[in-house]
Amino acid sequence: MAAETTLVPPVLAAPTGRRQDRVRFQLGSIPLLAPAAILLIVLFLGPVAYSFYLGFTNLNLIGPTAINYQWTGLTNLNQLIHDPIFGQSLYRTAFFVIGSGVIGATGIGLLLAMAMQRAIPLIRILIGALVVVCFMLPPVTVAMVWYAASTSGGTITALFGSPNSDFLHSFPLVLVGAANTWSLTGLAMLLFGAALRNIPNEVVESAELERANPVQRFFRITLPLLRPTIVTTVLLMTLLSLANFTIVYIMTAGGPGNSTMILPVYSYQQAFQFDRLAYGALVGDAMVVLATIVSFIYVRASRARV
Amino acid sequence: MGILVRGRRLRITIAAALAAAAVVAVLLVVGSSSPASANTTTPVAKAAGGTTLTVAYGSTFVFLTPALAVKWWGGVAKEFEKAHPGVTVKFDPIPGSYNDIVTKLSLLYRSSSTAPDVAELPDGELGGWVASDYLLPLNKYLPTATYWKNFPQSVKNETTFNGTTYAVDHGENTNALFYNIPMFKKAGIPVPWQPHSWADILSAAAKIHKSNATVWPLWLQGGSAGGTIAIQYNGGNLLQGSSTPTIYDSKTKKWVVDSPGLLQTFQFYSDLAKNHLEAPASELLNPNAVDNVPALTSEQKMAIVVGANFYGEAWVKATCGPCWTAAPKTMGVAYLPTQNGPGYASSLGGWELAIGAHTKNASLAWDFIQTAQQETNMIDADNWGGWVPPDKQYWTAPQYTNYAPPYQSFFAKIMPTAVDEPNTTDFAIWGTGFNDATGAIIENPSTTPQQALTIMKNYVTQQLGSGLVETLK
Repeated sequence: MAAETTLVPPVLAAPTGRRQDRVRFQLGSIPLLAPAAILLIVLFLGPVAYSFYLGFTNLNLIGPTAINYQWTGLTNLNQLIHDPIFGQSLYRTAFFVIGSGVIGATGIGLLLAMAMQRAIPLIRILIGALVVVCFMLPPVTVAMVWYAASTSGGTITALFGSPNSDFLHSFPLVLVGAANTWSLTGLAMLLFGAALRNIPNEVVESAELERANPVQRFFRITLPLLRPTIVTTVLLMTLLSLANFTIVYIMTAGGPGNSTMILPVYSYQQAFQFDRLAYGALVGDAMVVLATIVSFIYVRASRARV
Repeated sequence: MGILVRGRRLRITIAAALAAAAVVAVLLVVGSSSPASANTTTPVAKAAGGTTLTVAYGSTFVFLTPALAVKWWGGVAKEFEKAHPGVTVKFDPIPGSYNDIVTKLSLLYRSSSTAPDVAELPDGELGGWVASDYLLPLNKYLPTATYWKNFPQSVKNETTFNGTTYAVDHGENTNALFYNIPMFKKAGIPVPWQPHSWADILSAAAKIHKSNATVWPLWLQGGSAGGTIAIQYNGGNLLQGSSTPTIYDSKTKKWVVDSPGLLQTFQFYSDLAKNHLEAPASELLNPNAVDNVPALTSEQKMAIVVGANFYGEAWVKATCGPCWTAAPKTMGVAYLPTQNGPGYASSLGGWELAIGAHTKNASLAWDFIQTAQQETNMIDADNWGGWVPPDKQYWTAPQYTNYAPPYQSFFAKIMPTAVDEPNTTDFAIWGTGFNDATGAIIENPSTTPQQALTIMKNYVTQQLGSGLVETLK
C-alpha cells in the first residue's frame, strides 16, 4: 500500500489547495470593480428602482399631484392589468419585435451576409455600403424616408401600381415594422459577415468531399457554427426593436387608432401627453421586466452547447 | 517566491484600491460640483450689480416663423432692459411642437431653480399648471393692466380659475371657412359664399367634386397623429356648432362621451368620407397636417378649408409661410354655420403670459409682461404669431387689419362668439378619443357615426373610468 502510494506521480496527487479550474471570488477584485459597480448602481439600477417606485404612486406631470404625489399601492398595477390598450400594446409590441427585429432583420441580415460571401467584390462593397448606411441613418431620417415612400405619391405605392393609395394607413404595423427591419438589417449583416468568415474552410471542404449539397451544408455546418452569433444577433435585434420609439412615433404616433401603439409609444403617451407620469413609468417598468425575461432566455440559450 | 508573489499581489491590490478611490473621488467631485456651476448665472449677474429675469417661450411652434419669434421677443427684451437698467433678460427658448413645449415647461416648473420668471403658455394646459401651484395669482397686478378691461369675457375665462387670474392673453386663434373663389366660380357656386348650415357646405363640396374631380373638395382634419391641438382647428368647430356642444360638464364634473352633438359631428365626417369629398387620408392623418394647410391651400389643391385665422397671415410677404400674394383674391372666407343655422361657430384658443409662483422678481416679471402687452408689441405679436388680439380695441387698428387683409378683420369679428375648449389635463384624453373616432372614419369611410361614437366612448371611459364620463341626451 505504501509502495503504491509512492508510485503515484506528484501531479496526480490529491489537490491540497483550492481547485484552480473554478472562478473564485477574490477580495482584491472589489476595488477594481467598484467604479463600474458604482456607475451601474447610480446610472442604471438607481433610476430603474426609482421608476418602479414611481409606477406605484400618483405622480402627474402637471396637476395637484405633480409635486405632492403619494404612494398609491397597487392602484396603477390594477389599472394596467385591466387596461385593454396595454394588452393590445403588448401583442403589437410582440408582433413588431418578433416580426421586424427577430425574423426580419436577423433573417435578411443572414441572407445578405451569405450572399455577400459569394458576390464579386464591387457588388459586395456597394451592397454592403448601402445596407450599412441604412443602419447608420438616424431613426428620424429612417422614419421620414419610410413615411414619404409609403404614403400617397410615395415610391412604394408607385411600385405597387397605385400611387394614390395610402399604404401606411392601410397596413400601419407592417410598414413601421418594415422600416425597423430596414434600419437594423445592416447591423445583423455585419455581425453575420464576421461570423461567416470565421467558419473554418476545412469543415466546409470536408462536407463538400462527403458530397453534402448546399442545403445540407447550410443546415448541418453553417447554421450550427453560427449559433452563438445568431443568439447574440437575435438578442440585439430584440432589445433594439423593443426600445424603438422614434420610428414608430414619427411615422404614426401610435395610430391610426391604436394600431401601432407599441409599449414605448404608449408609455410616452401616458406620461407626456396625458400627463400621467406614474402610469407611464409603470408601462416602462413592464418593458424592463419583458426585456429582462427575454435577455435571460437568450443568455440561457447561448450557454447551451453547440 | 510565494511571499514575493503575495507581496506583489498586495501592492497591486493597494494600487488598484487607490486608483479606484481616486476615480470615485473624481466622480463625486464632478457630481457635486455640477449643480453649483448650473446655479452660477444669477449670482454672477447679481455680482455685476444686476438682476436676471428668465423668460421661456416656444421658439419654433408658436410664432409663424422662428425668425419672427426671435425678432419679437428680442424687441420686447430690449425695450424692457432700457426701462430697467441693471436688469438682464435671459431667454429659455423651447423648440419643438405643442407637446414639446408643454412637457418642457412642466419639467422646468418642477424645480424653483429652473422655473422661468415669465413664460408663454398655451391656454389649453393652463388648468394643470394652476392646479400644480406653478403660477402666480395676478389679481393684485391686474388694475394696472389697462388692456384687461377690453378683453372679451371668454378670453378672461381662459386664464381665470375660481375668481383668480393666473395669466394674461397675448393672442387668440379663431376659425372659419376658407374657400377657393376660382373653383367656386367653375362649379357655378355664387361668390361671395356664406353657407347657412352644414348641408350647404356639403352641397357646395359635392358641386366642386362634380366640376373638378382632381381637387380636394373640403379639408377637415381628424385622427390622432396631429394631437389634440388639431381639434381646435378642425372637428372642435363643428362640435361647437352642433345641438349639444358641451365637452366637459362643469356641474357634474364629467366628460361628455356620448351626445347628439358628437353624433352630428361624426355624421359630418362620415358624409364627407362616404362621398369622397375629403382630402386624402395620408394628408389628413399626417402629424404635421395643421402646419401643412397654408402650403396645400396655396398650391390650390383644396376648394374649402375648415381652418384657423393664421392661415391668412402665413401667406403675406413678411411671413412667407409660403408667400402667396394672390391669396386675398383667391381665397374667400365665410363663417362656419351651426348645424342647421342660424348663427356661427368657432373654437377659441390662445397663448398666455404668466409668472412663476416662486419667482423672486414678481414685480419685474409683471413689468416685462406689461412691456409685452403694450399696443405695438401686442399687435406685432398677433400679426407675427398668427393671432387675433385679445384687446378688442385693436380689432380695427390699421396696424393689425392692414397686415393681412381681408383676413384680420374677418377673424376678429368671430372673437365675441368663439368658445374655448376645457383647459384641464384630462382634455388630452377626451381629445384622443375624439381623434380616434374621426380618424376611424377617415381611414375607413364605411365606419358609421355610431361606431365612431362607440370608439370614443370606450376609449375615454377606459382611460378616465366610468365615474368621470357621462351621456348627454
